[in-house]
Amino acid sequence: MERVGIVGYYQVKLYSNANYGRYEMIFEAVRGALDSAELKKKDITTVVSCTNDYYDGRTISNAFTVEVGGAYLEDESKVEMDGAHAVLYGLMRILSGNHKLAVIWGGSMASCFPYHSARLYETDPTWERPVAYVNDITASGFQMRAYMEKYNVDIEEIAKISVKNRKNASKNPLALEEAQNANLSVNDILNSEIYADPVRELMVAQPCDGVAALLLAPEKQALKITDKPVWITGVGYNQETYYLGDRDLSISNSMELAGKMAFDAAGIKEPKNEINIAELFEAYAHEELIFSEALGLAEKGKGSELNSEIDGDLPINPSGGAQGGNPPCATGLIRIIEAAKQLRGEANGYQVKGAKKAVASGQIGMCAQNNIVYVLEGGD
Amino acid sequence: MSEKIIVANKGFVRAEFSFWVGRYMDKFYDAFENKKIIGNKCPKCEKRFVPPRKICGECYEEIIFDKNWVDLPDTGILLNYTITPYKVTDRTSRKVKKSQIIGMIQIEGSDTAIVYKLLNMEPEDISLGMKVKAEWEEKPIGNSADIKGFVKI
Repeated sequence: MERVGIVGYYQVKLYSNANYGRYEMIFEAVRGALDSAELKKKDITTVVSCTNDYYDGRTISNAFTVEVGGAYLEDESKVEMDGAHAVLYGLMRILSGNHKLAVIWGGSMASCFPYHSARLYETDPTWERPVAYVNDITASGFQMRAYMEKYNVDIEEIAKISVKNRKNASKNPLALEEAQNANLSVNDILNSEIYADPVRELMVAQPCDGVAALLLAPEKQALKITDKPVWITGVGYNQETYYLGDRDLSISNSMELAGKMAFDAAGIKEPKNEINIAELFEAYAHEELIFSEALGLAEKGKGSELNSEIDGDLPINPSGGAQGGNPPCATGLIRIIEAAKQLRGEANGYQVKGAKKAVASGQIGMCAQNNIVYVLEGGD
Repeated sequence: MSEKIIVANKGFVRAEFSFWVGRYMDKFYDAFENKKIIGNKCPKCEKRFVPPRKICGECYEEIIFDKNWVDLPDTGILLNYTITPYKVTDRTSRKVKKSQIIGMIQIEGSDTAIVYKLLNMEPEDISLGMKVKAEWEEKPIGNSADIKGFVKI
């Protein structure tokens, strides 16, 4: 694959109830990304946004974000999945050879609506929705139990992921304040409120307000813009079937296949030995284990045996991951930005030493029906 | 800015959707009216679906409407469950009086699972793999709520 570089990024501080509006937030992110690369609006040739009509409470939700997103009378369109999927679209536009600078931004304000209730609208309107037993939370309860049962994993092992990620989030100044906590114990996690047993409140990535933006450029242009580009050397994406009852929820087939596609493109044969740091969009603590296993960073059912602390064998979510705040439509994009920060040595306070190759993932759908994986490499 | 000004948008436009369920689900719900569960099977891999499907996604094979139907019992195996104190339609504010137990049930003779409430059960009564039976509404009308839930047998 031709090299496409990440040449700038910006993420706003995450809030559970932000004190400024969505347009201000989008502007801060896009303007901030341009400033980080010392670029101007006139340098932008294409804009890809990621918002969701249901989450924004309006149809064609990007209609209102044209100006703040830097797309006034410009080439602009929207991806209604995760911000990480918008990056794929932006990447394709760059690879088409027609563009010199793509702005990709995504995000929303979960404080404006009941997020988990809105996700009921994802369910089949002719079958599941009228009886309303399935939303993202109950689905995650099934997913976590399926994983624990299949591999005999104790709930404590899953709680440890929340402890780790919330501790990591405490070092990340942009993480959600409510999620930043270096002093949680496994018992604190287990004793937090039951959402959908076995899933506890502190295992859930809390929906919040936030926007992030990323800049992509083709190789030649990237090298002109920055002396610290981060290259996208592989991308993979995969989607599985919709009905929960048709799927094996103890594993993630789509993540495994997406990972294989991305690693093949990047020429990575042994992810466990070649990847230095992973930023995975775990909407629930147990998903970090399922995903890291699907990506081959650990053996199936043995994810909890991996030392994934910041100074561990293979750091996973040193930024705190989605547990550090989950702004719908931005979370996967933030994982890519966090991985890029690590490769540029800009993760102040939670920097992984000597990170050269990273993997970042995004997801969308019940129990991560769709997954997207990026392999990123630093250096020139 | 002393206090945030919030503009509430509470359904001032009525835009309710009325979905036709399609031929396959129509037949499925017709069976519900007689308190029966039917499914259909892929002519190629023979995987049996509940609810019925137009195609088998894996084989990308059309499951012809006029054939491939299978009559199934209203009993099944409990594959998975979760217990939630919240109304699924409103997690943020409304709790239910008693936690709901929601199960994934594989109807016997099918290869998929469906999601329903488990009734008359305490958490300690549940074991994965146990046999359950549908509890029907007295007068089913042909929709997913005709099955009130599943009970242990």
